[in-house]
Amino acid sequence: METQNRLWRVLLLALPILVFSVLVIWPLLSSFYYSFTNWNGFNRDYEFLGLRNFAKIWTDRLFFNAIVNTTIWMVAALVLPTLTGLFLALLLDRQVRGARIFKTVFYLPICLSAIVVGQIWIWIYQPDWGLLNTFVKLAGNPDFNYAWLARPDSALFAVIVAWSWQQTGLSMVIYLAGLTSIPSEMLEVCEIEGATAWQRIWRVVIPLLTPSTVVVVALSMINSLKGFDILYIMTGGGPFNSSDTLAMHMYNESFKKYLMGYGSAISVVLFLIALTVIGVYFRQLRKVDEIYG
Amino acid sequence: MADVAVSVPARFNPWPATVFVALCILAALFLAPTAGVLLSSVKTTRAIALGDLWSVPDRIYLENYAEVLFNPAVHRYFLNTLLVTVPATVASIALGVLAGHVFAKLPFRGSNILFLIVVSGMFFPPQVILVPLFRLFNGLGLIDTLWPIILVHTALGIPICTLLMRNFFAAVPNALREAALIEGANEWQVLTRVSLPLSLPALAVLATLQFTWIWNDFLWPLIFTQSDDKRTIMIGIVNLRGQYTVAWGVQGALSLVASLPTLVIFLFFQRYFIKGMTMGAIKG
Amino acid sequence: MARVELRNIHKSFGATEVIRGVDLTIGSGEFMVFVGPSGCGKSTILRLISGLESVSSGQILFDGEDMTRTAPSKRQLAMVFQSYALFPHLTVAENIGFGLSLGKTPKTEITRRVTEVAKILQLDSLLDRTPRQLSGGQRQRVAIGRSIIRNPKVFLFDEPLSNLDAALRVSMRLEIARLHRKLGDVTMIYVTHDQIEAMTLADRIVVLNGGRIEQVGTPMEVYENPANTFVAGFVGAPSMNFIRCCVDGDGVARFGPAGIRPTRPHEVSGDALLGIRPEHLALVDSGQGTFDAEIELVERLGAESLVYLRAPFLERAITVRAGGALGLSEQKLVGVQVDLTNLHVFSPSSPTLKQDP
Ligand SMILES: Nc1ncnc2c1ncn2[C@@H]1O[C@H](COP(=O)(O)OP(=O)(O)OP(=O)(O)O)[C@@H](O)[C@H]1O
Ligand SMILES: [Mg+2]
Repeated sequence: METQNRLWRVLLLALPILVFSVLVIWPLLSSFYYSFTNWNGFNRDYEFLGLRNFAKIWTDRLFFNAIVNTTIWMVAALVLPTLTGLFLALLLDRQVRGARIFKTVFYLPICLSAIVVGQIWIWIYQPDWGLLNTFVKLAGNPDFNYAWLARPDSALFAVIVAWSWQQTGLSMVIYLAGLTSIPSEMLEVCEIEGATAWQRIWRVVIPLLTPSTVVVVALSMINSLKGFDILYIMTGGGPFNSSDTLAMHMYNESFKKYLMGYGSAISVVLFLIALTVIGVYFRQLRKVDEIYG
Repeated sequence: MADVAVSVPARFNPWPATVFVALCILAALFLAPTAGVLLSSVKTTRAIALGDLWSVPDRIYLENYAEVLFNPAVHRYFLNTLLVTVPATVASIALGVLAGHVFAKLPFRGSNILFLIVVSGMFFPPQVILVPLFRLFNGLGLIDTLWPIILVHTALGIPICTLLMRNFFAAVPNALREAALIEGANEWQVLTRVSLPLSLPALAVLATLQFTWIWNDFLWPLIFTQSDDKRTIMIGIVNLRGQYTVAWGVQGALSLVASLPTLVIFLFFQRYFIKGMTMGAIKG
Repeated sequence: MARVELRNIHKSFGATEVIRGVDLTIGSGEFMVFVGPSGCGKSTILRLISGLESVSSGQILFDGEDMTRTAPSKRQLAMVFQSYALFPHLTVAENIGFGLSLGKTPKTEITRRVTEVAKILQLDSLLDRTPRQLSGGQRQRVAIGRSIIRNPKVFLFDEPLSNLDAALRVSMRLEIARLHRKLGDVTMIYVTHDQIEAMTLADRIVVLNGGRIEQVGTPMEVYENPANTFVAGFVGAPSMNFIRCCVDGDGVARFGPAGIRPTRPHEVSGDALLGIRPEHLALVDSGQGTFDAEIELVERLGAESLVYLRAPFLERAITVRAGGALGLSEQKLVGVQVDLTNLHVFSPSSPTLKQDP
């Protein structure tokens, strides 16, 4: 039996592991390698630069800018969808009339591509007739003509709002799944003990949702690290790099300036940040698992 | 929120109504962006430019859709997207099935670590493998073909497909596999005759997820293709922006048409879609 | 049809050794029943014979042919699982014909054989249903049908009846006995927790404990001549009574005020355990029996009663199987008459069954 099992393991795993290794693991590792070179993307030859790409990172003003923007982006994209998602999940948890339809409405944006989402929000921010400015005009400011995406002050946040609009559904779904797994006895205990609805939510429900929160937080951070398409279409990292994140910066250096070696160095930094997030995530997941089973 | 526990019939409980109204307002806010695009797509460019976007049109103007649907470039984009999405969806699920079976039913020493490595592939930013993959496919002369996109999506689908298939297969009782083995089945027959037929919901979940993600992808076709007749629909949207600079209605129609396949899948297979989303997120 | 030999079988899961040296020969056509407490390794031995698990060391032979490394599918055996393990996505007919459909058997041949088997097991009218639409007994019959269709040499049953209710269990028990007779001399290996199943079905019983064989023998051998206190205590319900005693030079066993001389030959002297089955004790008037004891509890089962007695010199209550038990009331003092011909004397170091106090 063991002999056959061994054979089948090899037979069945060979293809998936081969494909995964060649197209994911190997490129991941060679990214480290290229980060030490000055390959330009087309020439056969390149030089070995040692740590010079990483030294350049320290002096690259745009890199620093990208790090700041990525941090803002990560924190905001973490807080906004998480809170809205939690709020919606709490509203929808009790059997509200039409809950099914509401849920569909809230997670509909998930199935849209980031490009389409970006496109939609470009319309909203359109200075002349966009929804946002139309509202401001109706609210008594008829000459309001602010170009949200063309101003360095607002571009990044404008994109974050669009991004949150799409991501909220995901947090809501995860929180809803978490809510259904809270045993109803626990809530009944609250009623017997005479807790108010407010106390019940803050003292029982939200603490019991900790496992979902860990998942939502980690997922939001990881997704926002990956976020690229929506920035690409809405601002392209501009204006004046005001919405340039690491993922965007990496793309620009590699595929606009053809500094693929330097781009690789940026991607290595991106990778290390992601690795940290994932590491913390898995650790928290295990901790949460011990407490909440 | 919701209702306050003890309901005294005589007293009016304002909570359910409040929650309902709040949800309606929020839903309207959530739908507004999409509704705007929908509205713009049935209006003339002139009407939009005159600031008339947010009113209900008295006449539905279908020229925008005609413009999109009869544009041969759009046909090309659609065809390319299908040529990428369908094979990559099928291939990634197939590979996930193979690996998932081993991780669920034939565990070995170190299989948990291997599984963890494969699954964590789900979490890494794709930018990390961008440059080496570009070099690889450039070396193979495959840049500006659809092949690299198909291959990369297949590979990047392996983590989620393996994760979901392993979880589904693990729920199939071991006794069924053993009964089949004793009846003379080999491992392949166990997989195809017993485990897979019992995991059709998992396949539906993965098919909807993978199709949507690959269809919506933008980064990989952006990197791997250059000429217009190799582009996929999401790139197409960006490209055609130049052609229809102020033709907002056409752009709206194009966005809707491009999202139609995934919207249809979402609305019809919502249950599977949500299940995949939560399972992929939580069991990770 | 096949003689199954186990030679010095050991099996470990990781660091824990679960089967610790099992030697056993199961004759061709024999009905062998494995009994033993939970976790003693019954299922494991069955799975080793089936090939679903590989032995850590030792040999498994069918008719003298080494099968130790042979795949389960090549061993020509069939297995009926406790959970039935029916394929939920297949109909009854497809379940029964599953094994044949894997090979190159033509469709018409499969249909013919399935119909044949279905007739034997009275499943004819259920062939198009799926397992979910069947009762427990019907599912069990389908599982048996799936196993007999390929004419296996060896049948393995792992507690096949334990998911059924009492009445069904009796009728399925008879059905399995009938099947064994009808199939001629196929070897059947059967794991059960049920004493009655073991006693009624078995040609021989294997009593397992902690991964070792304690005794092999016909049901009556095991019942009448248990090799040690473990077997004595495990086989038979209610269980055998054990009384601590001291055997003197004359062969008289003394405990409390009593002194009796077992008639069966034994080689124990000094401290000993006296084993007496509940049916070999009789209640008489106080002072008339071997010793007196107080009734602690009477369980009336209808046809008979179980009487639990206490005496200061007894470590634990002893059980007596009494007839009608008329006039027995709790706290009454009664005499106990011991059947001297059915006394078992064990050395106190003999392996014992752990009993709840
Ligand atoms: N795959 C396994 N991995 C580790 N330990 C196992 C495995 N299978 C069985 N064991 C252990 O081996 C011992 C014997 O198990 P087995 O299933 O053979 O007992 P059993 O006699 O059939 O018990 P039961 O009457 O409860 O079915 C148990 O202690 C069990 O925990
Ligand atoms: Mg068992």
